Amino acid sequence: MIPLNFYLILAAALFCIGLFGALARRNAIGILIGIELMLNAVNINLVAFWRYIKPAGATMDLAGQIFALFVITLAAAEAAIGLALVIAIYRSRDTVNVEDVNLMKW
Amino acid sequence: MPDAQTLTLISPELLLSIFGLLILLVDVIWREKSQSALPWLAILGFALALAATLYIWGSNISLFAGMYMVDMFSLFFKVVASLAGILITLVSIDYLRQRTPYRGEFFAIFTFSILAMMLVASSASLLMIYLSIEFLSYTSYLLTGFLREDKKSNEAAIKYFLYGAVTSAVMLYGLSLLYGVTGSLNLTDIAAAFSATVDSTVRMIALVSTMLVLAGLGFKISLVPFHQWAPDAYEGAPTPVTAFLSVGPKAVGFAALLRVALTALPQWVLPAPPPAPVKEIPLVLAVVSIITMTLGNLIALRQTNVKRLLAYSSIAQAGYMLIGVVAVNLTGNSPFSGLNGILIYLFAYLFTNLGAFICVIAIENATGIVEIPEYAGLVKRAPLVAALFVIFFLSLAGIPPTVGFIGKFFVFGAALREGWLYLAAIGVINSVISVFYYFAVVRQAFFEAPKDATPIRLAPLVTLSLVVSAALVLAFAIYPQPLLNLAAWSMGMVK
Amino acid sequence: MDLIVFYLFATLAVIAALGVVALRNPVHAALCLAVVFISLAALYVLLSAPFVAAAQVMIYAGAILILFVFVIMLLSPGVDQGAGALKWQRPLAAVFGLALAVELILVLASAVLPAARGQYTPERLAQIGDVQAIGALLFTDFLLPFEITSLLLLVAMVGVIVLAKKRVRS
Repeated sequence: MIPLNFYLILAAALFCIGLFGALARRNAIGILIGIELMLNAVNINLVAFWRYIKPAGATMDLAGQIFALFVITLAAAEAAIGLALVIAIYRSRDTVNVEDVNLMKW
Repeated sequence: MPDAQTLTLISPELLLSIFGLLILLVDVIWREKSQSALPWLAILGFALALAATLYIWGSNISLFAGMYMVDMFSLFFKVVASLAGILITLVSIDYLRQRTPYRGEFFAIFTFSILAMMLVASSASLLMIYLSIEFLSYTSYLLTGFLREDKKSNEAAIKYFLYGAVTSAVMLYGLSLLYGVTGSLNLTDIAAAFSATVDSTVRMIALVSTMLVLAGLGFKISLVPFHQWAPDAYEGAPTPVTAFLSVGPKAVGFAALLRVALTALPQWVLPAPPPAPVKEIPLVLAVVSIITMTLGNLIALRQTNVKRLLAYSSIAQAGYMLIGVVAVNLTGNSPFSGLNGILIYLFAYLFTNLGAFICVIAIENATGIVEIPEYAGLVKRAPLVAALFVIFFLSLAGIPPTVGFIGKFFVFGAALREGWLYLAAIGVINSVISVFYYFAVVRQAFFEAPKDATPIRLAPLVTLSLVVSAALVLAFAIYPQPLLNLAAWSMGMVK
Repeated sequence: MDLIVFYLFATLAVIAALGVVALRNPVHAALCLAVVFISLAALYVLLSAPFVAAAQVMIYAGAILILFVFVIMLLSPGVDQGAGALKWQRPLAAVFGLALAVELILVLASAVLPAARGQYTPERLAQIGDVQAIGALLFTDFLLPFEITSLLLLVAMVGVIVLAKKRVRS
């Protein structure tokens, strides 16, 4: 049996890589991709905890998995909204780089 | 299938869902003919939700396997949310008419964002907290970018979105760790798991995950260092949406913060035996509070755009409110428990800030002016707006006889009671600084000569909502007892 | 055996994730993201969560990724240039990311979490860990979040159409 910590460390690594991506990119789509990595890291945590941790009470039997499913669903909605905003901004000024988006102080 | 009692208890939420869907439907079926009726449909929805909230007033029950609390604390926020919904819809009607053809979609999404506020206030499970906060965020992003032909609106929305999505992912990581160390999503089970453990690793993880969750909520509340989105989003968003952004997410962020702090981490605020997991957090919050109010006020001094000025002022206000969270202590029967201070302050801030934004909208609608130098001589052009600006700014600065003073009184009082002397002192100094920039606007409006002396005509609906919010600000200052009772009852959520 | 599978897919996921943030061409980054999604799906199978694995492949790899690729193709944003106005941004992000990684990994590596031995027996997993059990829970204990999600998706859809559709209704 693989120790729980292995999964947690993998998740932490992916989360930090994703966070780095989100902070270091200047391209809105690149930032969004970084955010997707972070959300995936959270899902590893949730499913691994579900598998290894004693649930507190009967209704929590599958809580980790169900939480992960909700995260996946919301990630889809979030990506759709983000990309729609990217398209709208591209239409109005022909760029997706956040540094070019500077009508107001950034 | 939930039973009739459950349905009654969630009737405000059900009503808003139904009216949101109804607006979409009516808009699709009747198109042009229905345009002027849609905002009134939304207002009817908010009014009915308000009535339903008052009908179930006094309930204290947990629903849906413990993930949804209908208690006085959440009902307080539901009252605030529906009132804010009515006021903002009233001022959006004229604002949107010239600016977007998608008014039906706007009012539907706005109705759902008020619904999301109500959901956050009642959430008592990590899943529900995440879901409803994200619901509110998504609707806010959409509303911010709603003027799709307007470059500033686009820019505001994408900045708001990118900040929000990163911080909510960070918060979510913290929530997953909280689930991991306790094995439950329900806040009460989490509290039980924490008080049962003496393990220092669990304590460590609890601390790390609480910090991560604070990052997400700090973004909603616009605490430094998660505040950078606020000025840009406030400036670029359609002004009624800015008014909403300055009150909705903030109220909800505090609701979630208090719910998590008081239910899941009671050792944070109650005297606990030695293995208390999270004692460091109030200290961190105190530092954040000091930086937030000082930075917000200092930058606000230099602003020339009134929307940006109010953005920085609202960042500073978040700092004052955080003092109440730092000083929460629910033992004993003191009137300065911190919690009631925050609730009173939030109530005061919401209607004061809404009022200030309605003033801005009134001027912007009629003339397009948002720069403070152009406010010169406002008293001659629109005496009512100029006079009400004074009232709202007095209240924001915390000067009697306004409701803002009562809020500051209870928040700073709680800090003194808990021995946070320097925190209260810095709060008072900051309030004094804030007077300078508030009165820079007032000085322009009253003592400068107008460049263009034509009177500004106000739309009747805008005048109505101005008068309503000013009346709330003054009435609760002169007769605060209902507000104090309300806040006292809301504390019933903590056993 | 389990351990080999874990190492294989975990390494793959981390390398692909590094590719996602390191590669300048957005199409390449998106392709790396697909590798991450699929390796994680394999790990979910290893964790005996086949439904989450399936959802991961269908929604992440099937829907979200396609959406990304569509937008990238549509806008052809070009290559993300290295140096720019925000020179401090990259090192600062690296410092933040590394600091957080070290902190999290130290904490998590030392963690002795309650019952960290895999609490479910194969029989128990067969009994609860399938689609039926998840479906039943979604419509009973998790009914409220489930319904809220449906509203949320509707709102997101309406809003996205308003923002992204081509011609404005006059």
